[in-house]
Amino acid sequence: MITELLVAILLGLVVAAAVVAALARGILTTLAAFGAYSLGLAVVWLVFRAPDVALTEAAVGAGVTTALFLVVVARTIGFGVPQQQRQNSTPSSEFVDGDEATRVGDAGASEGTRLRTAVTGAVRQGRRRSVVVASLVTGGLLLTVPALPVVGAADTPGFGPVTEYYLTDSATRGIDNVVTAILVVYRGFDTFGEIAVVVTAVVAAVAVLNQGEER
Amino acid sequence: MSDLVMVFSSRVAYVAFALLVGIGVFVLVDSDNLLKKVVGLNLFQTGVFLFFITSAFRRDGSAPLLSGPGPVVNPLPHVLILTAIVVGVSVTAVALALLVRVYDEYETLDESEVKEAQQS
Repeated sequence: MITELLVAILLGLVVAAAVVAALARGILTTLAAFGAYSLGLAVVWLVFRAPDVALTEAAVGAGVTTALFLVVVARTIGFGVPQQQRQNSTPSSEFVDGDEATRVGDAGASEGTRLRTAVTGAVRQGRRRSVVVASLVTGGLLLTVPALPVVGAADTPGFGPVTEYYLTDSATRGIDNVVTAILVVYRGFDTFGEIAVVVTAVVAAVAVLNQGEER
Repeated sequence: MSDLVMVFSSRVAYVAFALLVGIGVFVLVDSDNLLKKVVGLNLFQTGVFLFFITSAFRRDGSAPLLSGPGPVVNPLPHVLILTAIVVGVSVTAVALALLVRVYDEYETLDESEVKEAQQS
């Protein structure tokens, strides 16, 4: 019961951070909320007994990704509020950068009203379509939720013979951390492909950036 | 009605998954700022991670270390998500590199301004 409560609170914080990241005007607020979101998810992984994923998420998701975003913002548009946005924003607008950060900790009720004003604001700006699209996706996924097994149930279909094999076989081989065992032994080619993806991404990024310098 | 509440309250993590994916789609479709679209992509992707890690969890399980007390949670989705996190960062890095080039070319990262510049 404690675990369920903890998970619910953490997921509430994570979803709130995601909403802030989605609705913030300034890019810096979005990135700060995104960093908080990633770190919150890392704690969720820890509660779900996935320490390896939590470490990777905290280092790579919250750390490297946010740093990459910050470097690119500094390299391109900068952190100041662009001229055009300043002209567009009305004085009555609720979503000013400084306010946003202080309101992250607010209770759920004000989060709800903020969301409502944001939604109506988005509709006013003629962006009804994106709200509809997102609602359709969320609604469609929510329809499938009752068909899923209860969170934490021991008879979850994921626990099949494959998982049993990995657990017993790595026990006989004397490998303590099953995640590492699967990563480098049983699914070694998968990990090799992952490294190939990283190398390709580095080559592509360097090629794209160098082309800019030549011109 | 209370049945429905029970159904969803026992599956809070899956509800959060649906919400996060929805928020990701919203940011992807709605925002004019191309950088923010990449943030939306990341939100969408981590929402899917939440689905996988939740499906691996069992209440009586401990972390997948065989020296610990048994039964353990399902280690296979953890491995898949470890791979997916690294691939996600690679995708983000390439997208950001392309955005730097877009900025070099058009001096803006606003989608509509880029489109205007392309048409003129």
